[in-house]
Amino acid sequence: MNQISAIQSRIEIAAVLVTLQASLSLTAGLSAIPFGIVEPGFRVLSVLTILIAVMMFWLARNLRRRRRWAWRWLVSVEVVSLTITVVLTLLPIGTIRGPVPVLVNLVIPWAVLVLLASGSSRSADPRPGPADPA
Amino acid sequence: MYDIATDHAPALSAAILLLAFSLVFVRLLRFLAGREADWAVRLMEGFNAASPMAKLAAGLMLVSGAVHLALVPGHEGITGFLFIIDGLGFIALALGAFTTTWWRRPAALWLSGTIVAYLVWVIAGWEAPDQVGIACKLIELVALGLVMRLKNPAGTAWPRRLWRATAFPLLVSLTTIGIWIGGLVHPDALHAHAGAVLQPVASVATPEERVAAARLLADTKASLARYQDPAAAVAAGYKPGPVSDADPLLHFQNQANSRAVLDPDRPQALVYARTPVGLKLVGAMYQMPRVGQWGPDPGGPLTQWHQHEGICFSPLGFEFSFETPFWTCPVGSGSITTPPMLHVWIIDNGKSGPFAAELDKAAGRELTGRSGS
Repeated sequence: MNQISAIQSRIEIAAVLVTLQASLSLTAGLSAIPFGIVEPGFRVLSVLTILIAVMMFWLARNLRRRRRWAWRWLVSVEVVSLTITVVLTLLPIGTIRGPVPVLVNLVIPWAVLVLLASGSSRSADPRPGPADPA
Repeated sequence: MYDIATDHAPALSAAILLLAFSLVFVRLLRFLAGREADWAVRLMEGFNAASPMAKLAAGLMLVSGAVHLALVPGHEGITGFLFIIDGLGFIALALGAFTTTWWRRPAALWLSGTIVAYLVWVIAGWEAPDQVGIACKLIELVALGLVMRLKNPAGTAWPRRLWRATAFPLLVSLTTIGIWIGGLVHPDALHAHAGAVLQPVASVATPEERVAAARLLADTKASLARYQDPAAAVAAGYKPGPVSDADPLLHFQNQANSRAVLDPDRPQALVYARTPVGLKLVGAMYQMPRVGQWGPDPGGPLTQWHQHEGICFSPLGFEFSFETPFWTCPVGSGSITTPPMLHVWIIDNGKSGPFAAELDKAAGRELTGRSGS
């Protein structure tokens, strides 16, 4: 197997994980809608979450198409997500309890970051994608 | 809300053991291939030729297989039998990823079938959703997503392209909703209501425990008599929490009492009902200092503590919603678990009793005039 296909494979794995994250966010956003009936703050948060989920689907799709901007956006989103989780984990509020939150909130974002770093399109294909503004 | 079932705990050890075993197995395979054992050479060639995606999908199926086989001793009858079939199937498909060219479609069917079967079992109440089961479904979903993307057919018709784009997110969403439905429809004995987990206690109170519970109620009533007027509570250091339209109760908390343990003279919070004529003192809330630290229960099953888990808390407006079974919250809110708490209701709390986790619905309606109380 040559180097390019290995990098493509890593990008494809990262895209699958981002699609999974987007699907989980979409469900979290939809499930908050009933709470928005009596809690006005959750009206805003549920819509925001659904919009972010749609953005994540879009980023995953464009990551597969090797767009540099999608790669950059995803790195930013995952770094922010991981940082917030680590900060919440350090607080005594029981944010991470058991294997599921560890997998979803720590392992998957960390794995996406590692895959994006190792599968950077810069190392595989120096040409910018068609939609790359650079 | 979703804990680790006692009989599911060995599955976590099995998953960790499998990782160690896999490293040893690959080394052994390399050694045997070096000695030109035919089957080892063929397997090693297949392994080396496989893409990282195929290797990861196979690895995840192996983990799922090991977890299912480790769960067999705790499951009798048809469930145990299906776990054996499922575990062996996953192991065969994982090996098939390196030895066959046709493994992809059977693997997709096997993974989808396993996820759907789990949902059926959970919704029917034949299996309680716990963190091991949910983590296993997460692993299978990732494996399925990888298997679905392994082949990239160019120039296919739009219905097929649409299906490829939507099938995976749809299955993830359906899995989340299915597990949620199962958990809410069939809560186990330690879940008073969604989000509240009860302290494990004996089923029947002894005469001594009944006396102790009555004493705690009497002491709490005597202590709270001075706080009927909320102004007296504020003067004593209690501060009202944020008002939420969704909650007819208002908690006044006193941080100075945070270290006290079940002390009727120093309850952590006073609970007032928001009635049409103003605030009415309805009870006290004792709270332990740390998450997971159950308090003393002098009344045994009568004074059962509870803690709230799986709660999404939004600091914007002090609002709450429930986490999904995959432990996700809406953006802008965070997952929290409260330290254990024990309510002591000094009013007649109806059928629920003076130590219930929640204000009795009928008592709440009578006090606040709200149907949702």
